[in-house]
Amino acid sequence: MLKTIWHLFYIELIILLRRSQEWLYPLGFFLIVLSLFPLAFSADPVFLQKYVPGCIWIAALLASFLSVQTLFASDLEDGALEQLLLSPLPLTSLIYPKLIALWLVTELPLILLMPLTALLFHLSFSTMLILSLSLLLGTPILTLIGGLGVALTLGLRQQGIFLGLLILPLVTPVLIFGVGIVQQFQAGFDITAPLALLAGLLVLAITLLPFAIACTVKTVIDS
Amino acid sequence: MNKKLKSVNLSCVRQQKLLFKNISFELGNENLLLIEGENGTGKSSLLRMLAGLALPFSGSIYWQDISIHQSPLFKEDLHFVSHSNGIKHSLTLKENLELTAGLAQSDFSFFDDVIADLALKNCLDTPASQLSAGQKRKLALAKLFMIHKPLWILDEPLNALDGNAQLYFLSKLKEHLNTGGIAVISTHHPLAFKTFSANSLRLEIC
Repeated sequence: MLKTIWHLFYIELIILLRRSQEWLYPLGFFLIVLSLFPLAFSADPVFLQKYVPGCIWIAALLASFLSVQTLFASDLEDGALEQLLLSPLPLTSLIYPKLIALWLVTELPLILLMPLTALLFHLSFSTMLILSLSLLLGTPILTLIGGLGVALTLGLRQQGIFLGLLILPLVTPVLIFGVGIVQQFQAGFDITAPLALLAGLLVLAITLLPFAIACTVKTVIDS
Repeated sequence: MNKKLKSVNLSCVRQQKLLFKNISFELGNENLLLIEGENGTGKSSLLRMLAGLALPFSGSIYWQDISIHQSPLFKEDLHFVSHSNGIKHSLTLKENLELTAGLAQSDFSFFDDVIADLALKNCLDTPASQLSAGQKRKLALAKLFMIHKPLWILDEPLNALDGNAQLYFLSKLKEHLNTGGIAVISTHHPLAFKTFSANSLRLEIC
Protein backbone atom coordinates (compact mmCIF):
# COMPACT_ATOMS: atom_id res chain seq x y z
CA MET A 1 0.00 0.00 0.00
CA LEU A 2 2.80 2.42 0.91
CA LYS A 3 4.51 1.60 -2.36
CA THR A 4 1.39 2.60 -4.27
CA ILE A 5 1.07 5.83 -2.35
CA TRP A 6 4.70 6.70 -3.06
CA HIS A 7 4.18 5.84 -6.69
CA LEU A 8 1.08 8.01 -6.86
CA PHE A 9 2.98 10.86 -5.23
CA TYR A 10 5.76 10.53 -7.78
CA ILE A 11 3.27 10.40 -10.67
CA GLU A 12 1.46 13.45 -9.33
CA LEU A 13 4.73 15.38 -9.10
CA ILE A 14 5.59 14.45 -12.69
CA ILE A 15 2.19 15.58 -13.90
CA LEU A 16 2.42 18.92 -12.12
CA LEU A 17 5.99 19.57 -13.23
CA ARG A 18 5.22 18.69 -16.84
CA ARG A 19 2.38 21.20 -16.87
CA SER A 20 4.59 24.14 -16.05
CA GLN A 21 1.65 26.57 -15.98
CA GLU A 22 0.48 24.86 -12.81
CA TRP A 23 3.32 26.26 -10.75
CA LEU A 24 4.75 29.02 -12.94
CA TYR A 25 1.56 31.09 -13.18
CA PRO A 26 0.82 31.25 -9.44
CA LEU A 27 4.47 32.10 -8.81
CA GLY A 28 4.41 34.93 -11.36
CA PHE A 29 1.07 36.10 -9.99
CA PHE A 30 2.53 36.16 -6.48
CA LEU A 31 5.47 38.31 -7.55
CA ILE A 32 3.34 40.75 -9.52
CA VAL A 33 0.80 41.22 -6.73
CA LEU A 34 3.66 41.80 -4.30
CA SER A 35 5.21 44.42 -6.50
CA LEU A 36 1.88 46.30 -6.61
CA PHE A 37 1.81 47.00 -2.88
CA PRO A 38 4.76 49.45 -2.79
CA LEU A 39 3.28 51.19 -5.84
CA ALA A 40 -0.12 51.54 -4.22
CA PHE A 41 1.12 52.58 -0.79
CA SER A 42 4.63 53.84 -0.34
CA ALA A 43 8.14 52.70 -1.18
CA ASP A 44 9.42 54.02 2.15
CA PRO A 45 11.64 51.28 3.72
CA VAL A 46 10.27 51.83 7.23
CA PHE A 47 6.70 51.52 5.99
CA LEU A 48 7.56 48.45 3.92
CA GLN A 49 9.26 46.68 6.81
CA LYS A 50 6.15 47.14 8.86
CA TYR A 51 3.46 46.24 6.34
CA VAL A 52 5.05 44.02 3.71
CA PRO A 53 4.74 40.77 5.72
CA GLY A 54 0.95 41.22 5.62
CA CYS A 55 1.10 41.93 1.88
CA ILE A 56 3.20 38.82 1.33
CA TRP A 57 0.60 36.76 3.20
CA ILE A 58 -2.25 38.17 1.12
CA ALA A 59 -0.35 37.53 -2.10
CA ALA A 60 0.45 33.97 -0.99
CA LEU A 61 -3.20 33.42 -0.14
CA LEU A 62 -4.39 34.61 -3.55
CA ALA A 63 -1.70 32.58 -5.33
CA SER A 64 -2.69 29.42 -3.46
CA PHE A 65 -6.32 30.08 -4.32
CA LEU A 66 -5.31 30.19 -8.00
CA SER A 67 -3.13 27.11 -7.91
CA VAL A 68 -5.53 24.87 -6.02
CA GLN A 69 -8.29 25.27 -8.64
CA THR A 70 -6.78 22.70 -10.96
CA LEU A 71 -6.57 20.04 -8.22
CA PHE A 72 -9.28 17.64 -9.45
CA ALA A 73 -10.36 19.37 -12.65
CA SER A 74 -8.40 17.28 -15.13
CA ASP A 75 -8.96 14.11 -13.10
CA LEU A 76 -12.69 14.59 -13.34
CA GLU A 77 -12.53 15.32 -17.04
CA ASP A 78 -10.36 12.39 -18.12
CA GLY A 79 -12.02 9.87 -15.79
CA ALA A 80 -8.93 9.35 -13.64
CA LEU A 81 -10.95 10.33 -10.58
CA GLU A 82 -13.33 7.41 -11.17
CA GLN A 83 -10.39 5.07 -11.32
CA LEU A 84 -9.07 6.45 -8.02
CA LEU A 85 -12.43 5.73 -6.43
CA LEU A 86 -12.45 2.20 -7.80
CA SER A 87 -9.07 1.35 -6.33
CA PRO A 88 -9.20 -1.10 -3.42
CA LEU A 89 -7.15 1.40 -1.41
CA PRO A 90 -9.05 3.91 0.74
CA LEU A 91 -9.62 7.14 -1.16
CA THR A 92 -8.20 9.27 1.65
CA SER A 93 -4.82 7.59 1.30
CA LEU A 94 -4.85 8.46 -2.41
CA ILE A 95 -5.81 12.09 -1.75
CA TYR A 96 -2.83 12.71 0.56
CA PRO A 97 -0.14 12.28 -2.11
CA LYS A 98 -2.07 14.58 -4.45
CA LEU A 99 -2.29 17.33 -1.83
CA ILE A 100 1.33 16.98 -0.76
CA ALA A 101 2.53 17.10 -4.36
CA LEU A 102 0.38 20.16 -5.03
CA TRP A 103 1.79 21.94 -1.99
CA LEU A 104 5.37 21.08 -2.91
CA VAL A 105 4.99 22.31 -6.46
CA THR A 106 2.89 25.43 -5.93
CA GLU A 107 3.56 26.71 -2.40
CA LEU A 108 7.11 25.69 -1.58
CA PRO A 109 8.57 27.85 -4.39
CA LEU A 110 6.93 30.91 -2.78
CA ILE A 111 8.71 30.16 0.48
CA LEU A 112 11.99 29.48 -1.28
CA LEU A 113 11.60 32.88 -2.87
CA MET A 114 11.49 34.62 0.52
CA PRO A 115 15.19 35.63 0.68
CA LEU A 116 14.74 37.47 -2.61
CA THR A 117 11.52 39.11 -1.44
CA ALA A 118 13.17 40.13 1.80
CA LEU A 119 15.93 41.79 -0.18
CA LEU A 120 13.40 43.66 -2.32
CA PHE A 121 11.44 45.00 0.64
CA HIS A 122 14.24 45.75 3.11
CA LEU A 123 13.23 42.99 5.53
CA SER A 124 15.86 41.93 8.06
CA PHE A 125 17.22 38.40 7.93
CA SER A 126 15.52 37.33 11.14
CA THR A 127 12.15 38.74 10.01
CA MET A 128 12.57 36.81 6.76
CA LEU A 129 13.18 33.60 8.69
CA ILE A 130 10.13 34.09 10.89
CA LEU A 131 8.01 35.00 7.87
CA SER A 132 9.17 31.85 6.06
CA LEU A 133 8.34 29.80 9.13
CA SER A 134 4.83 31.25 9.33
CA LEU A 135 4.32 30.52 5.62
CA LEU A 136 5.70 27.01 6.06
CA LEU A 137 3.08 26.32 8.71
CA GLY A 138 0.28 28.27 7.06
CA THR A 139 0.38 27.47 3.36
CA PRO A 140 -0.36 23.73 3.77
CA ILE A 141 -3.59 24.76 5.52
CA LEU A 142 -4.41 26.99 2.55
CA THR A 143 -3.88 24.06 0.17
CA LEU A 144 -6.02 21.73 2.32
CA ILE A 145 -8.93 24.14 2.74
CA GLY A 146 -8.65 24.99 -0.94
CA GLY A 147 -8.78 21.28 -1.72
CA LEU A 148 -12.04 20.92 0.18
CA GLY A 149 -13.46 23.95 -1.62
CA VAL A 150 -12.48 22.49 -4.98
CA ALA A 151 -14.04 19.14 -4.11
CA LEU A 152 -17.27 20.87 -3.09
CA THR A 153 -17.49 22.91 -6.29
CA LEU A 154 -16.29 20.15 -8.63
CA GLY A 155 -18.07 20.16 -11.96
CA LEU A 156 -19.88 23.45 -11.41
CA ARG A 157 -19.88 26.17 -13.99
CA GLN A 158 -18.28 29.40 -12.76
CA GLN A 159 -16.34 27.27 -10.30
CA GLY A 160 -13.59 29.84 -9.81
CA ILE A 161 -15.65 32.71 -8.41
CA PHE A 162 -17.79 30.49 -6.22
CA LEU A 163 -14.65 28.81 -4.92
CA GLY A 164 -13.33 32.22 -3.87
CA LEU A 165 -16.54 33.04 -2.01
CA LEU A 166 -16.37 29.69 -0.31
CA ILE A 167 -12.76 29.41 0.80
CA LEU A 168 -11.43 32.94 1.26
CA PRO A 169 -13.55 33.54 4.39
CA LEU A 170 -12.49 30.15 5.74
CA VAL A 171 -8.79 30.90 5.54
CA THR A 172 -8.92 34.18 7.49
CA PRO A 173 -7.73 32.54 10.76
CA VAL A 174 -4.64 31.34 8.95
CA LEU A 175 -4.01 34.86 7.68
CA ILE A 176 -4.55 36.40 11.14
CA PHE A 177 -2.17 34.07 12.95
CA GLY A 178 0.33 33.99 10.09
CA VAL A 179 0.65 37.76 10.00
CA GLY A 180 0.39 37.89 13.79
CA ILE A 181 3.53 35.83 14.18
CA VAL A 182 5.59 38.27 12.13
CA GLN A 183 4.07 41.40 13.70
CA GLN A 184 4.65 40.15 17.23
CA PHE A 185 8.20 39.23 16.34
CA GLN A 186 8.86 42.68 14.91
CA ALA A 187 7.35 44.32 18.01
CA GLY A 188 9.71 42.26 20.19
CA PHE A 189 7.09 39.99 21.77
CA ASP A 190 7.18 36.26 22.30
CA ILE A 191 5.85 34.43 19.24
CA THR A 192 5.24 31.02 20.80
CA ALA A 193 1.49 31.49 21.18
CA PRO A 194 0.54 32.37 17.57
CA LEU A 195 3.12 29.87 16.30
CA ALA A 196 1.57 27.11 18.41
CA LEU A 197 -1.93 28.08 17.31
CA LEU A 198 -0.98 28.00 13.64
CA ALA A 199 0.81 24.66 14.12
CA GLY A 200 -2.31 23.36 15.87
CA LEU A 201 -4.49 24.48 12.99
CA LEU A 202 -2.11 22.73 10.61
CA VAL A 203 -2.30 19.44 12.50
CA LEU A 204 -6.07 19.68 12.62
CA ALA A 205 -6.25 20.40 8.89
CA ILE A 206 -3.83 17.60 7.94
CA THR A 207 -5.66 14.98 9.96
CA LEU A 208 -9.25 15.89 9.18
CA LEU A 209 -9.51 17.64 5.82
CA PRO A 210 -8.30 14.81 3.56
CA PHE A 211 -11.12 12.63 4.94
CA ALA A 212 -13.61 15.40 4.28
CA ILE A 213 -12.21 15.87 0.77
CA ALA A 214 -12.44 12.14 0.03
CA CYS A 215 -16.06 11.98 1.21
CA THR A 216 -16.96 15.05 -0.83
CA VAL A 217 -15.36 13.64 -3.96
CA LYS A 218 -17.34 10.41 -3.57
CA THR A 219 -20.56 12.36 -3.32
CA VAL A 220 -19.76 14.59 -6.27
CA ILE A 221 -18.86 11.64 -8.51
CA ASP A 222 -22.27 10.16 -7.78
CA SER A 223 -24.11 12.75 -9.83
CA MET B 1 -14.00 -19.76 -7.49
CA ASN B 2 -17.69 -19.03 -7.81
CA LYS B 3 -18.57 -15.42 -8.30
CA LYS B 4 -21.97 -13.82 -8.37
CA LEU B 5 -23.25 -10.37 -9.26
CA LYS B 6 -26.85 -9.73 -8.40
CA SER B 7 -28.98 -6.66 -8.80
CA VAL B 8 -32.41 -6.26 -7.25
CA ASN B 9 -35.02 -3.79 -8.48
CA LEU B 10 -32.62 -1.08 -9.54
CA SER B 11 -34.04 2.24 -10.56
CA CYS B 12 -32.36 5.43 -11.59
CA VAL B 13 -33.55 9.01 -11.46
CA ARG B 14 -31.53 11.76 -13.11
CA GLN B 15 -32.62 15.40 -13.11
CA GLN B 16 -36.02 14.44 -11.71
CA LYS B 17 -36.53 12.06 -14.61
CA LEU B 18 -36.98 8.33 -14.27
CA LEU B 19 -34.47 6.61 -16.54
CA PHE B 20 -35.21 2.99 -15.70
CA LYS B 21 -36.83 0.96 -12.98
CA ASN B 22 -37.06 -2.62 -11.71
CA ILE B 23 -33.84 -3.86 -13.23
CA SER B 24 -33.06 -7.21 -11.66
CA PHE B 25 -30.62 -9.84 -12.80
CA GLU B 26 -28.21 -12.38 -11.50
CA LEU B 27 -24.94 -13.21 -13.19
CA GLY B 28 -22.60 -16.06 -12.35
CA ASN B 29 -19.37 -17.44 -13.75
CA GLU B 30 -19.08 -17.37 -17.55
CA ASN B 31 -22.09 -15.04 -17.91
CA LEU B 32 -22.08 -12.06 -20.24
CA LEU B 33 -24.74 -9.38 -19.98
CA LEU B 34 -25.15 -7.01 -22.91
CA ILE B 35 -26.91 -3.76 -22.17
CA GLU B 36 -28.56 -2.20 -25.19
CA GLY B 37 -30.74 0.82 -25.64
CA GLU B 38 -30.95 4.13 -27.43
CA ASN B 39 -28.98 7.18 -26.40
CA GLY B 40 -30.16 8.64 -23.14
CA THR B 41 -31.83 5.52 -21.82
CA GLY B 42 -29.40 5.26 -18.93
CA LYS B 43 -26.89 2.63 -20.06
CA SER B 44 -23.92 4.49 -18.66
CA SER B 45 -25.81 5.36 -15.48
CA LEU B 46 -26.61 1.68 -14.96
CA LEU B 47 -22.98 0.71 -15.44
CA ARG B 48 -21.79 3.41 -13.04
CA MET B 49 -24.26 2.07 -10.49
CA LEU B 50 -23.03 -1.48 -10.98
CA ALA B 51 -19.47 -0.26 -10.47
CA GLY B 52 -20.48 1.41 -7.24
CA LEU B 53 -19.74 4.94 -8.45
CA ALA B 54 -23.35 6.07 -8.31
CA LEU B 55 -26.01 5.13 -5.79
CA PRO B 56 -29.23 3.70 -7.18
CA PHE B 57 -32.42 5.66 -6.50
CA SER B 58 -33.82 2.42 -5.16
CA GLY B 59 -32.75 -1.20 -5.19
CA SER B 60 -29.43 -2.76 -4.37
CA ILE B 61 -26.49 -4.57 -5.92
CA TYR B 62 -24.70 -7.54 -4.40
CA TRP B 63 -21.33 -9.09 -5.09
CA GLN B 64 -21.06 -12.54 -3.51
CA ASP B 65 -24.30 -11.76 -1.66
CA ILE B 66 -22.76 -8.76 0.08
CA SER B 67 -23.81 -5.24 -0.90
CA ILE B 68 -21.10 -3.83 -3.18
CA HIS B 69 -20.70 -0.78 -0.94
CA GLN B 70 -19.84 -2.98 2.01
CA SER B 71 -18.02 -5.74 0.22
CA PRO B 72 -14.28 -5.66 0.86
CA LEU B 73 -13.67 -7.79 -2.21
CA PHE B 74 -15.71 -5.95 -4.80
CA LYS B 75 -13.16 -3.31 -5.76
CA GLU B 76 -10.40 -5.91 -5.91
CA ASP B 77 -12.47 -8.01 -8.30
CA LEU B 78 -13.64 -5.24 -10.61
CA HIS B 79 -12.35 -3.73 -13.85
CA PHE B 80 -14.40 -0.74 -14.94
CA VAL B 81 -13.79 1.11 -18.19
CA SER B 82 -16.07 4.07 -18.76
CA HIS B 83 -16.57 6.46 -21.66
CA SER B 84 -13.77 8.63 -20.41
CA ASN B 85 -10.77 6.38 -20.59
CA GLY B 86 -9.25 7.40 -17.27
CA ILE B 87 -5.95 8.27 -18.92
CA LYS B 88 -3.68 11.06 -17.70
CA HIS B 89 -2.68 13.04 -20.78
CA SER B 90 0.62 14.32 -19.47
CA LEU B 91 1.87 10.82 -18.70
CA THR B 92 3.33 8.45 -21.26
CA LEU B 93 1.51 5.27 -22.19
CA LYS B 94 3.81 3.20 -20.01
CA GLU B 95 3.46 5.51 -17.00
CA ASN B 96 -0.30 5.34 -17.38
CA LEU B 97 -0.22 1.56 -17.26
CA GLU B 98 2.07 1.61 -14.22
CA LEU B 99 -0.35 3.95 -12.48
CA THR B 100 -3.23 1.61 -13.29
CA ALA B 101 -1.34 -1.36 -11.89
CA GLY B 102 -0.46 0.60 -8.78
CA LEU B 103 -4.06 1.60 -8.15
CA ALA B 104 -5.18 -1.98 -8.72
CA GLN B 105 -2.55 -3.17 -6.23
CA SER B 106 -1.27 -5.82 -8.57
CA ASP B 107 1.42 -6.57 -11.10
CA PHE B 108 1.13 -7.13 -14.80
CA SER B 109 1.11 -10.48 -16.44
CA PHE B 110 1.73 -10.82 -20.18
CA PHE B 111 2.69 -7.12 -20.40
CA ASP B 112 4.84 -7.46 -23.52
CA ASP B 113 2.44 -9.81 -25.28
CA VAL B 114 -0.55 -7.54 -24.79
CA ILE B 115 1.37 -4.44 -25.85
CA ALA B 116 2.52 -6.23 -28.99
CA ASP B 117 -0.94 -7.63 -29.76
CA LEU B 118 -2.50 -4.20 -29.40
CA ALA B 119 0.17 -2.67 -31.66
CA LEU B 120 1.19 -0.21 -28.98
CA LYS B 121 4.85 -1.19 -28.88
CA ASN B 122 6.06 1.91 -30.69
CA CYS B 123 4.25 4.36 -28.46
CA LEU B 124 5.23 3.13 -25.01
CA ASP B 125 7.02 6.40 -24.34
CA THR B 126 4.59 8.66 -26.18
CA PRO B 127 2.65 11.11 -24.02
CA ALA B 128 -0.97 10.00 -23.92
CA SER B 129 -2.05 13.40 -25.24
CA GLN B 130 -0.46 12.51 -28.60
CA LEU B 131 -2.20 9.15 -28.96
CA SER B 132 -5.12 8.75 -31.34
CA ALA B 133 -8.61 8.08 -30.02
CA GLY B 134 -8.28 4.40 -30.86
CA GLN B 135 -4.90 4.10 -29.18
CA LYS B 136 -6.29 5.75 -26.06
CA ARG B 137 -9.12 3.25 -26.04
CA LYS B 138 -6.65 0.39 -26.41
CA LEU B 139 -4.63 1.81 -23.53
CA ALA B 140 -7.76 1.98 -21.36
CA LEU B 141 -8.68 -1.59 -22.23
CA ALA B 142 -5.14 -2.97 -21.91
CA LYS B 143 -5.50 -3.37 -18.15
CA LEU B 144 -8.26 -5.93 -18.70
CA PHE B 145 -5.79 -8.24 -20.40
CA MET B 146 -2.83 -7.60 -18.09
CA ILE B 147 -4.38 -7.67 -14.65
CA HIS B 148 -6.68 -10.56 -13.99
CA LYS B 149 -9.96 -9.64 -12.31
CA PRO B 150 -13.16 -11.69 -12.47
CA LEU B 151 -15.65 -8.90 -13.15
CA TRP B 152 -15.53 -6.58 -16.16
CA ILE B 153 -17.92 -3.66 -16.48
CA LEU B 154 -17.33 -1.93 -19.78
CA ASP B 155 -19.03 1.04 -21.39
CA GLU B 156 -18.99 0.73 -25.19
CA PRO B 157 -15.64 -1.06 -25.31
CA LEU B 158 -15.58 -1.38 -29.09
CA ASN B 159 -15.84 2.36 -29.72
CA ALA B 160 -12.94 3.82 -31.70
CA LEU B 161 -11.18 0.45 -32.00
CA ASP B 162 -9.97 -0.74 -35.40
CA GLY B 163 -10.96 -4.13 -36.79
CA ASN B 164 -7.96 -6.03 -35.46
CA ALA B 165 -8.31 -4.58 -32.00
CA GLN B 166 -12.01 -5.42 -31.97
CA LEU B 167 -11.29 -9.04 -32.87
CA TYR B 168 -8.54 -9.15 -30.26
CA PHE B 169 -10.89 -7.74 -27.63
CA LEU B 170 -13.60 -10.26 -28.50
CA SER B 171 -11.17 -13.17 -28.32
CA LYS B 172 -9.92 -11.97 -24.95
CA LEU B 173 -13.48 -11.56 -23.74
CA LYS B 174 -14.20 -15.13 -24.75
CA GLU B 175 -11.13 -16.29 -22.87
CA HIS B 176 -12.22 -14.27 -19.83
CA LEU B 177 -15.67 -15.84 -19.86
CA ASN B 178 -14.32 -19.33 -20.46
CA THR B 179 -12.08 -19.04 -17.43
CA GLY B 180 -15.05 -18.22 -15.23
CA GLY B 181 -15.19 -14.44 -15.61
CA ILE B 182 -18.27 -12.25 -15.65
CA ALA B 183 -18.79 -9.29 -17.97
CA VAL B 184 -21.37 -6.53 -18.21
CA ILE B 185 -21.04 -4.59 -21.43
CA SER B 186 -23.06 -1.79 -22.92
CA THR B 187 -23.05 -1.66 -26.68
CA HIS B 188 -24.64 -0.27 -29.79
CA HIS B 189 -23.27 -3.15 -31.82
CA PRO B 190 -24.89 -6.30 -30.44
CA LEU B 191 -24.04 -8.05 -33.72
CA ALA B 192 -20.37 -8.01 -32.82
CA PHE B 193 -21.18 -10.24 -29.88
CA LYS B 194 -23.34 -12.69 -31.81
CA THR B 195 -20.93 -15.58 -31.27
CA PHE B 196 -21.41 -15.26 -27.50
CA SER B 197 -24.29 -16.79 -25.64
CA ALA B 198 -25.14 -13.53 -23.96
CA ASN B 199 -28.08 -12.40 -21.91
CA SER B 200 -29.23 -9.08 -23.13
CA LEU B 201 -31.00 -6.29 -21.36
CA ARG B 202 -32.72 -3.61 -23.37
CA LEU B 203 -33.33 -0.24 -21.73
CA GLU B 204 -36.34 1.65 -23.04
CA ILE B 205 -37.28 5.28 -22.60
CA CYS B 206 -39.70 5.48 -19.68
